[in-house]
Formats: sequence, C-alpha cells, structure tokens
Amino acid sequence: MSVEALNAAPAPTEENGLFARSGVLRRLMRDKVAMVAALLLATIGLAAIFAPVVAPYDPYLTDLTKVMQPPSAEHWFGTDNTGRDILSRVIFGARNTLMLGLVGVIVGGFLGGFLGIIAAYNRRLDGWIMRLVDVMLAFPAILIGLAVAAIFGAGLTAVVIALVVATVPDVARVARGAAIGIMSQEFMEAGRAVGVSDRTLIWRYLTLNCISTIFVFLTLRFGQIILIGSALGFLGMGAQPPTAELGMMAAQGRDFLFMAPHIATIPSFAIFVIVLAANLLGDALRDVLDPRLQT
Amino acid sequence: MSATEATPVLQVDGLVKHFPVSRGLIRRKVIGMVRAVEGVSFEIARGETLALVGESGCGKSTTGRLVLRLMDPTAGSVRFKGEEIATLDKNALRRLRRHMQIIFQDPYASLNPRMTVGEILAEPMAVHDLHTEAERATRVKDLLDVVGLLPEHARRYPHQFSGGQRQRIGIARALAVNPDLIICDEPVSALDVSIQAQIVNLLQNLQQRFGLSYLFIAHDLAVVKHISDRVAVMYLGQLVEIAAKRDLYDRPLHPYTQALLSAIPRPDPSVRKERVLLAGDVPSPFAPPPGCRFHTRCIHAQPRCKQEQPELRDAGNGHRVACHFYETLPKPAAASTASTSLGKLPERLAAFEAAKAARNGSG
Repeated sequence: MSVEALNAAPAPTEENGLFARSGVLRRLMRDKVAMVAALLLATIGLAAIFAPVVAPYDPYLTDLTKVMQPPSAEHWFGTDNTGRDILSRVIFGARNTLMLGLVGVIVGGFLGGFLGIIAAYNRRLDGWIMRLVDVMLAFPAILIGLAVAAIFGAGLTAVVIALVVATVPDVARVARGAAIGIMSQEFMEAGRAVGVSDRTLIWRYLTLNCISTIFVFLTLRFGQIILIGSALGFLGMGAQPPTAELGMMAAQGRDFLFMAPHIATIPSFAIFVIVLAANLLGDALRDVLDPRLQT
Repeated sequence: MSATEATPVLQVDGLVKHFPVSRGLIRRKVIGMVRAVEGVSFEIARGETLALVGESGCGKSTTGRLVLRLMDPTAGSVRFKGEEIATLDKNALRRLRRHMQIIFQDPYASLNPRMTVGEILAEPMAVHDLHTEAERATRVKDLLDVVGLLPEHARRYPHQFSGGQRQRIGIARALAVNPDLIICDEPVSALDVSIQAQIVNLLQNLQQRFGLSYLFIAHDLAVVKHISDRVAVMYLGQLVEIAAKRDLYDRPLHPYTQALLSAIPRPDPSVRKERVLLAGDVPSPFAPPPGCRFHTRCIHAQPRCKQEQPELRDAGNGHRVACHFYETLPKPAAASTASTSLGKLPERLAAFEAAKAARNGSG
C-alpha cells in the first residue's frame, strides 16, 4: 500500500485524555436523568463547600424562643428542638456527610485499587492479598465502626476508618478483575519484551487501563458509603453533638417525631437525595463507559 | 559482542517447558505437567528466516516466548550470538531486550491503548537509554516512515488505526531498538489476505535493509513458503522435521509434514491426488503418547513407534527428520512433485509479488 492509500483511510476524530475512546462526556450529556442527578449533586456539593457563605443562620446558634417551628418563610426547613435553623444545619451536615463519603471512597479506592492491581500483577501475592480482602469483606461496616469507636472513641475518625475498611475489599476485587483482564492482553507482554520496568508496567500499562472501571465502581459505591456513614452517625458512633451531621441529626429528631416530624425527616430526605443522585450518576457513567451495555 | 560472523544469531538446544498443573485449595499439589515444549533444538543464522510451523497448541508460540525469556525455560539452553541467555538475571535480561524483539499476532491487543503511537515507539529507546529526547522524536518519525506510516501519526492513539496499520506500528516498535533478531509470532494470521501480503513484504524489505534474522512462527504454509529460508515443523512440543524451505516443500519426509502439505486445498478438481488424512485429534500435552508422539495418528505407525522415541536424524543437506522409518515410507504422490499445485498458493504469491512491485514502483 502506498502512503497515499494509507492516508486516505478515514481518520477517526481526535479525542484524547482519560476517556479517549468514546466521547463519554458527550454521551453523558444526552442522558437527562444523569444530568439532573449531576446537577443536584453539584448544587449540594457547592452549598456544602461554601456552607459558611450560603447558610442563612449560624448552625449552632440556639434560640429557645423559636423551638420546633415548622418550615416557614423565615426558616425554610423550620427549627429543631433547641431552635437552631435546620436549613443551615443540613447544609453544614451535608458538608460533613459528603466529606466522610469522599474520604472513605478516595482512601478506600486508592488502597483497594492498589491491592487489587498488585494482586493481579503478582500471582504469588495474589492468594495472600485476596484472603486478606476476604477477611475484611467478612466484617460488616457497622461492626467495624463499633469496634473502632470502642477503641478510639466515637467521632468522625472512627467513621472514616470504618468506611475505608468497607470500601477496600470491594474495590480490590473489582480492580483485580479488571487488571487480570488487562494482564492477558498482548501489550503487557510487549512491554516486558521491550524491557519496561515493573513500575512502569504497573502504572502506565495496567493501572491506566483499568482506572475507568475503578472510577465507575467508586461512583456507584459513593452513595452506599454515604448511607453507611449516616447510619453510623445515626447510631451515635460518628460526629458528636453539637456538630451537624445528617445521620446524627436524623437520630436527634427521632425523639420529636410526633410533635415535629420535620426535624428527623428533612435530614433523612437530604441523605436520600444525595444517595439517589450518586447512584443514578454512577449508573449512567457505567452505561456510557461500557459499550456492551449500549443498545 | 565478540561473536564472529559465523556464529549463529540464535542457538536453541534441548529447550524444555513444562507447566505444572496443581490442584487443591490449601495445600496445592502438583498433579502433573503440561509438556508444552519438549527438547526443541534449532539454529538461526544471521539474516536468515526460520519458520516454525505446527497446529495450534503444539508449543510454537511458547518456544518463541522462551527464546525471548518472556517465560523461563524448564531446561535447555538458548544462546544469543554465543551468549547463554537461559540463565541471565533480570538486569542482564533487560539489556538483552535491545537485541531481540517480538511482533505479536493480534494488532488490536498488542498496543497499549493509553499511549500515543509516538510514546509507544519512543518507549523502547527511553528504556534502553538510546539517543536524546530530541533524537528520539526524529527517530520515531523515521520509524513511521520505514513502516509506511506518516510522521503525524505519532500523535494518534492506537484505536485510530486499522489492523494493518497497527501491525505496522508493532513492527516499528520492534525495530526501535535496532534488534538483530525478531520473533514474529503469527504476525499476519489476524489480518486480511490483502493486508497479509503488504506486511509480509514489509518484513522482507526490513530484513534486507537491516540484516534482521526472523523466527517466524506461523501455521499458514503459503506465507511460510514465501518468507522463510528454512522451515521447522513442530508437533506436540517437539520438532519432527527441519529443512531448507525448498527441500521441505518438495520432499517432505515426516508423515506429519506430508499430511500438512497435502491438506492444502486444490482449486483444480481434475488433478486427483491422494490426501494423507489424519485421524483424531492432537493428543493432550498433559499426557503425551509414549514413543513417537505422532504414532497415534500416523498411518504408517509400527510397533517400534509406540516404544521408542525417534531422534532427529540427518537425511542429507541439513534436512533432519524425526521418524524411524522415513527411508522406507511410500512417497506421497502429490507432495513429492515440485510441479504440484499448492492450492491458492500461486495466486497469493502473485499477490505478494504484485504488492512488492507496486511498492518498489511508488517508493
């Protein structure tokens, strides 16, 4: 074939970067549900980041003259049993809850991804790593949270540790599965034949090729992790009063469920919205990234 | 290296690879061995192409990977320009990678999708500390040109190329470090026939230009006849016959080789010939038959074949064959005459030639 003929072959569109292969962003934009979910998450996220600016009141300011007021123009979400503004507390609470989820997912994802990829790369370590992961998998996150809280005392640290432990084994399994698929590809062998170092092989050949799988899985996990974090907060192992945290706020409102149901239901609903939005976005991302699911 | 011109580029002697099969959850016990390669020996001279042919699963790809030390051999010796490499440590092995390269079968799987073509081609040079960064960029463009691609292709990703183009990239990557020996592991069997001709001719041009030696692993006898100088036929992990190309195609001595050659379909139904039919499947390399490994399917098998393993014996002109009775076997009528049609082979060879002529004319 001459050079001209080669050149005449249809040149695919130029797209680079992490999602080079499929124009992921464009297809994600076409998914309306995913866009609504993304918008919701972004709004909540931004509000949480800029909580001190956005919140209409001080979340810790008690006003005993306005106790357990239902939602009104003055207090959109009403006030709680000590007269604190619930909207402000939900914004600050979302801040803590999202932070917990993010740290859990990022740290857990990093550790789990690392373990899974190493297990796939080095078949000798595989058995040991995966048995360790199985042990972690055997403990429910709530139980870990209880144990950690018993050792270090209740608080956000205990919850973060529990969330990381809850994330690691699943991520490790997913990462290992993806990495084993990559390992069997000829380009891994090509890299070795060229003389590429183990470090480059693991990072540039293996990790970069399974990172989108891990990323999608973490997005899906994010909602669950937040739910577990809130549950731990609800059980009193997480943030301690007066810190605002959605799960704990729901627990506190429980005592007044018949007098002022909004105190418990509004933080719960906030958790519900965050988890739902994260799950929907994760689903959409998976659909877009996995060409086999496309019809 | 202190090797003289007379030293073969590659000497393989008694190469063995057994894969242990183990069972058991806690205490893993080795319950047997898959004898993938069992005592393979051959040599490749400088600038020569040795084709390694055989059915799938006969161990030819494993042999290629053993030669490159992508797998560690169980036993045997591999000498590259006289230097023993079967026992090299990791660092020495990395230095050796500069001199031996491999081209893979599947051009869709052999390029890292996360790297641009430029990065893929520059990486081998960077690994071996060849050239400065600027020189590497120039050399990437040269390499692309050598394999018939354009300089601007360096910025693209592998998925933006067709199969044939990707195979060219794979070839350019193998050439990047100026190797002496390239293992071609079925480099054209995943490509269209029309593209096959281009790639085979490219490989031949490069061989002449850079004085490369090839170990050409294939199962397609038409391609093999076109590119190789010598041919080694493999069956169940062992060489059954090795000879100069013309010698092997004109005068196949081993019953297995005869069967392989006779299996090539004929376009002309009026030319009647006797086909040597093979009964049954290839026996499992997990439990290879005793004696001659081919005796279970050989139409000429005799009691001795079941007990005694035949050695490779010289039948003249460096034509070696592992059969107890090759002297007394009836000559297969079809394969013994040089004028016999080899199926679509002539047409495809003509296609190769035409492509070559077109290339030479335009370039």
